[in-house]
Amino acid sequence: MHKYLKKTLVISVFILTAIALYENFLLVPEYTGLRTGVSDYIISSGLSDTGSLNLITAVLYDYRAFDSLGESTVIFGAVSGIVLILSRKMLPVSSRGLSFIVKRTFGLVTPFIALFSLYVITHGHLSPGGGFQGGVILAVISIIFSIVYGSAFDYRRYSPQVKTAMETMGAFTFLGLGVVGILMEGFFLKNLGFLTARTGTLISAGSIPYVNFGVGIKVGAGLAIIFYSMIQKTFKEDF
Amino acid sequence: MRNNFIFIILFMLGLYALIMKTNLIKNVIGLNIMEASIFFWVIAFSDVGGEVAIHKMGEEFSKFNDPVPQALTLTGIVIGASTAALLLTLIIELNQFTDTIDRDEIEGLNN
Repeated sequence: MHKYLKKTLVISVFILTAIALYENFLLVPEYTGLRTGVSDYIISSGLSDTGSLNLITAVLYDYRAFDSLGESTVIFGAVSGIVLILSRKMLPVSSRGLSFIVKRTFGLVTPFIALFSLYVITHGHLSPGGGFQGGVILAVISIIFSIVYGSAFDYRRYSPQVKTAMETMGAFTFLGLGVVGILMEGFFLKNLGFLTARTGTLISAGSIPYVNFGVGIKVGAGLAIIFYSMIQKTFKEDF
Repeated sequence: MRNNFIFIILFMLGLYALIMKTNLIKNVIGLNIMEASIFFWVIAFSDVGGEVAIHKMGEEFSKFNDPVPQALTLTGIVIGASTAALLLTLIIELNQFTDTIDRDEIEGLNN
């Protein structure tokens, strides 16, 4: 009896939620009437304001740069919490690595993965991509190191201190550019106009490429730290 | 331009995994599916049939989709990844103490 009651309750909750969602979706008007004001302004004059071809990057790192600063603070908070929860002292040996062929092949492929991540980071204002996306690709290198060569290799080559220093450096790049914006242009995180070059070149769009670089390093190091902390505790019995 | 039923189905799928499944990792997956349905809805809602808002060199200004919801969705994805990582960390730590990740088998939590 108790079980049937629970089931009926859950099914009614599902049906009510679905009906509420459907009714609310019906109430939402078409988008064409909504995109006035801010959106039209960004689309029409975003290129001349920021010099960034990619208007989404322009929104992220120029118009709403303060929002992105809070976003990277959220990543920092998550990394801090995970490291605090899963902290340990011993050297981790979670896996011994894969076969010789895989190790050699991955040794050849690694520089190209790093190059691709740097490409995605540095071309964030010209093409799809940016700091967050490229940083995730950067973190993939550390993750594959742990799988292919064993996690002890990753520990010796790129110790957690190095990763922490990289993440701090990325955060300070972001904050430093914001402070330079106060000094030179008058507002926190304002785009630095004197850095602007010809639109479409690699070093253009004011401070956006530098902010992208800082965010990319920060996200890559942060995700690598998260993965590293998780894998240590999971395979503790392999010692 | 948009079909609401797909987002409702995805959202209900996530809600089902969140409520009915007792495996905590499946709960986290359900939470992420719910999140993804909202992101899909925001992107599909702001689609007015234009292109992605990236200027191309040597081409004139053409009809663009709104870049603001896309930037906000990027923010949401990053925060969703952070919360998922933190939740999985808590599940790992729970597994160390209770040797289970099923929420019905944890002592003191059932009934």
